[in-house]
Amino acid sequence: MTPVDTSAVVASLREVARDAGVTARVHATRLTGPPGTVALDDAEPVAVASLYKLPLALVWADLVAAGDLAADQPVRLPADSRMPGPTGVAMLLDDVSLTARDVVRLMLAVSDNACGDALLTLVGRARVHEHLAALGLPETLVRQGSAEETRAVLRDTGTGDWAAAQRALADPDRAAETSQYDPAFASAGTAAQVGQVLRLLWSRTGPAHDLVRDALAHQAWRHRVGSGFPHDDVTLLGKTGTLGRLRHEAAVVRFPHEHPVGVVVLTRAARPERHLPRVDAAIGELARLAVAPLRLPDDV
Amino acid sequence: MDLLKHLGFFAAVADARHFGNAAADLGMTQPPLSQGILRLERHLGVRLFDRDARGVRITAAGRRLLPSARELLDAADDLVVAARDLALPEQVRLGIAADLEDAVPGLLRAVGVDLVPKALANAGGAVVPTVAGSVELVDLLRDGLLDVAVVRHPGVLDGLTAGPVLVLPTRLEGVDVGAGVGLAEVRLPVAVPPRHHQPPAHDQLVDALRRAGHSGAVVEARDTAQRRALVAAGAAVGVVPTTVEQPGDPSCPPLRLRVAVPHAAQRRPEVDHDAVAAAIERALTSGPAR
Repeated sequence: MTPVDTSAVVASLREVARDAGVTARVHATRLTGPPGTVALDDAEPVAVASLYKLPLALVWADLVAAGDLAADQPVRLPADSRMPGPTGVAMLLDDVSLTARDVVRLMLAVSDNACGDALLTLVGRARVHEHLAALGLPETLVRQGSAEETRAVLRDTGTGDWAAAQRALADPDRAAETSQYDPAFASAGTAAQVGQVLRLLWSRTGPAHDLVRDALAHQAWRHRVGSGFPHDDVTLLGKTGTLGRLRHEAAVVRFPHEHPVGVVVLTRAARPERHLPRVDAAIGELARLAVAPLRLPDDV
Repeated sequence: MDLLKHLGFFAAVADARHFGNAAADLGMTQPPLSQGILRLERHLGVRLFDRDARGVRITAAGRRLLPSARELLDAADDLVVAARDLALPEQVRLGIAADLEDAVPGLLRAVGVDLVPKALANAGGAVVPTVAGSVELVDLLRDGLLDVAVVRHPGVLDGLTAGPVLVLPTRLEGVDVGAGVGLAEVRLPVAVPPRHHQPPAHDQLVDALRRAGHSGAVVEARDTAQRRALVAAGAAVGVVPTTVEQPGDPSCPPLRLRVAVPHAAQRRPEVDHDAVAAAIERALTSGPAR
């Protein structure tokens, strides 16, 4: 990577994080053209929550591109074997059948936990780990699926359902902890490693990887990294990860006629509440500050 | 030459505009002060004062040099204070969130009484307090300049160990509570500590005020005196930790605190951090703050 003097940028990133009351890890990187990165504590491992779905999708697409998996393979998601979750198939009541590629789309576009678990089962944990290692990425990035994360949170909070677990984690009068905040027990990686996932995904061509990128472009919300780029002509392809005080997003920001820039913002808020628009906005501000010095016209 | 001493002469004469008065301020006589200034002027190669029949006037060069001289003098003072803190190994350097306001003296008394027979049997005074904003206290703890701090929750505590959340009831100040006025009826802004003291706790309070039916408008008061002045002037109301005389108001968001200490490996062995933290937690949770 070309060393750029980013100390002033990093100082402003720290200031934004302090003002929002979060611990922030940031990694921004130009995905094409001359290399360039901006980093804030991007070698610190953190629990990535639903961001595990991003490297999982990369592995799936690589295996499809290699002919080891079929994109249109049917996948059954019976109601009684799904862990209930807030979005997508995980919030439905009845049995569902999808193709693998639709599983990937729902997993990425609405962070569907049932689809994340189904895809992990379909690819197989051992194969995921083997492939991540071959890519030079840590196996911990996909240590587990969503159902295991949910079960651990229920156990740690002593609650019987997800709503009660979320209330326990959000209690302002307690400092509720869970093993799923801990990179030693959860799916975990550094901001730089998640950035490397984006870099690999953008280096690939072919229909399987196009499908993954298209699903990221359809992400249903734009309140985090997207809040830093309120421009209708700027394309955002992103994946969030959320658990209690953890709020993350890995995204690719595409300004017209510029090289795309990947940006990873991993945060842990001091406040436990579920709804913290100020923190979501700070993630947008961190992303904007980190991306700005990397913007470059694509004819350069 | 002793540069700091002579810079002290320079600053004193610049302040007093008179050698006799400056000498009196310094507790010395005029001749050695005049000679000192001359020595400093020779040493620096610059004339600092014009002396004529009308008195002493600082020169343009003197005016240029005065801020640097003051910085050096302040830095020397800081160094002496820091050294004094380090020279008292058994005393606990305790940080206290400024938000505790009137509860600070009672907390210190309770902690002092609690600690003397235990952790500090051989020490005279138990505690050297620092009252400041929580973000600043957390930085001091991380830098090893405090042993224990009670800080406002929630706040970022990376690299530290913290105890349970302590929830202190609060009451409205500056309204006729007897008339049953709650937060929802208050039209005035609430006087609060500066947001930068602990941004997430500040934001949480504003959200809680709105949740309770208040507009969420706040005035940031730089210290307790300023807050009291705003309330006394009828420009704002206060939300303050309760005292024995006045019970907490359930409509008021509580004050949440945590006791933070360094990780085990970074603690000073002379201090029993756990005993201090336990004493603070006992003092803050055994009924309304004193």
